[in-house]
Amino acid sequence: MTDPDIAAEMEEDSFDDLDSDEELQAAFSRGDLKPGLNIEARAKRVYINDEQGLKDRLTDFKKDLAWLERLDVTCGPARVPGETDPKPDEENKDEVHDDFKRELRIYRQAQAAVLDALPKLQALNIPTKRPEDFFAEMAKSDDHMRKIREKLIAKQLSMERSEKAKKLRELRKFGKKVQQEVLVKRQKEKKDLAESVKKFKKGHSKDLGFLEGKPKGGANSKQDKAAAKLGPNMKRKAKNTKFGYGGKHKGSKVNSKQSARDDEDHFSIKRNRSDVAKHQKQFGGKQRKGNTKQKRLGKGKRQKLKSRKK
Amino acid sequence: MFRRSVVKSSTHVKMGKRKIAQKIVESKKKRKRNDPIHKTQQNAEKAAKAGPVARWTNKERTLIFASRGVSYRGRHLMNDLRTLMPHSRADSKMDRKDNFFLINEVCEMRNCNKCLFFEARKKMDLYLWAANIPHGPSAKFLVENIHTMAEMKLTGNCLKGSRPLLSFDPQFDESPHFGVLKELFIQIFSTPYLHPKSQPFNDNVYTFTILDNRIWFRNYQIVEEDGSLAEIGPRLVLNLIKIFSGSFRGPTLYENPNYVSPNQHRTLIKKQASLKYQNRVEARMGQMERKETDTYKMDTLDEVFHTIKPEDAKGAEKMTFFRK
Repeated sequence: MTDPDIAAEMEEDSFDDLDSDEELQAAFSRGDLKPGLNIEARAKRVYINDEQGLKDRLTDFKKDLAWLERLDVTCGPARVPGETDPKPDEENKDEVHDDFKRELRIYRQAQAAVLDALPKLQALNIPTKRPEDFFAEMAKSDDHMRKIREKLIAKQLSMERSEKAKKLRELRKFGKKVQQEVLVKRQKEKKDLAESVKKFKKGHSKDLGFLEGKPKGGANSKQDKAAAKLGPNMKRKAKNTKFGYGGKHKGSKVNSKQSARDDEDHFSIKRNRSDVAKHQKQFGGKQRKGNTKQKRLGKGKRQKLKSRKK
Repeated sequence: MFRRSVVKSSTHVKMGKRKIAQKIVESKKKRKRNDPIHKTQQNAEKAAKAGPVARWTNKERTLIFASRGVSYRGRHLMNDLRTLMPHSRADSKMDRKDNFFLINEVCEMRNCNKCLFFEARKKMDLYLWAANIPHGPSAKFLVENIHTMAEMKLTGNCLKGSRPLLSFDPQFDESPHFGVLKELFIQIFSTPYLHPKSQPFNDNVYTFTILDNRIWFRNYQIVEEDGSLAEIGPRLVLNLIKIFSGSFRGPTLYENPNYVSPNQHRTLIKKQASLKYQNRVEARMGQMERKETDTYKMDTLDEVFHTIKPEDAKGAEKMTFFRK
């Protein structure tokens, strides 16, 4: 605890002692004391602001250096052309808590400083622009900058992707609407057909053109196409390819002429036979003697021969 | 070059001895002209003709270091400042927490006349002392909202050690305490002209903006001369606590009336959080008290003469309403 605090407490104590019953009674009769909990008011804290001292200190330690050593610029934010001057109080309130506005305000201040200082530097013959062939160590390493670039690109990509997904979702919504319209249209056509049949039966009309199913107008044909194009969704399609959908499944795993032909790449009878022969030659297995050249005929031909013999 | 000339002379078989000697002398002269030492001598002569040579005269040095227990974020910030300021010096973390007067001696040992000292408290609060070393003044700030240069969203980059422009808000000239701070910042952050570790080009700006009674620090890269910028970082917000007359000592010259210490802030938040529950419980109790059990005052005897016809009676009513 600092000294002034202690002093204040001592003062309070002495004050308490002075509050005798008589005094309190007197105060009550005057109407200064109200019934209820009376709390001693605390003295308001005084904040030091020694303006003269500050000014003296500033003159003491200020260095008279050339501007070239200091490079300081004092200026407000650069004005955007075409913007009216907003009221300062009103502006300040949002600025602090709105990140974008605040950063923009600071950015514009920096911009104003740059626009102010660069001509001054050029007047002093100080290069402000780095030549293309001047290489030196940077504040951030190349590795770090690469990471930043990658992150930026990734962010951009994800944004694009999300936008695409959004569009697709909207399209799908639209597709549903189209489908509903198609259903309504079909019902209407059915109704029309029934009506025209009725009319024909009663002899109101002798035209049988409606039976040929001519579409009355080509207006809806485009929408129909769109609906047809949409078809089942991607997930359903993938599942269909995996588990099968529609058509005949029976016997789909049984070998056929076609499947054998498809398999030829992997297995050929000819090659197999030659392999077997080679094997036998090498390891001295049983070898056919005599008319080894004569080939066995195909099954169909053999059966024909059999029937002829009979 | 010498060797080449010899080879050349050997190819010219017809050349006489005198001619060869002449060639060698010429080549030596040429070499001397291209010699780097000779060149610098020439440049110096030129400069002497042009006028006095600019020199590094402003020997400002800033010691940047922290106390023990600084968080990783504070440490990164400190390192960022060290990379950005070529006239800075580093020192090991300060162990003592009570006697900051020692910092003056540390700075003296390191030949520094300015100091940025990061003081960490409770492993979460970071304070920054900015001081002019032997005689002051010094200022103490609470550092808020730190973003270091390593963050990914800051896309700018600048040369390591290029001299920054310092941009100040016009409010710095309006009150004396801000005036002192401005001079202090200029002396601490401006890199001396022709500092050996600095670069000859100006490609970044530090901005000091006063918003919401705080000083907001930003560092931008100058991308184009027309004023397009890209932020490099670090970002920080300085909330002034006090300005002292001496360096890390002396009487207080200014005290920020708007400053709320992080401890107070935390207790306030906790209190509000606890009040939320208390209020809810009180509200519930009050509602229960206020809620009336009887919505309408009825006379219990009113129903004595209320009868219905025996035909209309249903269920248990048949027991009471029946015809004899």
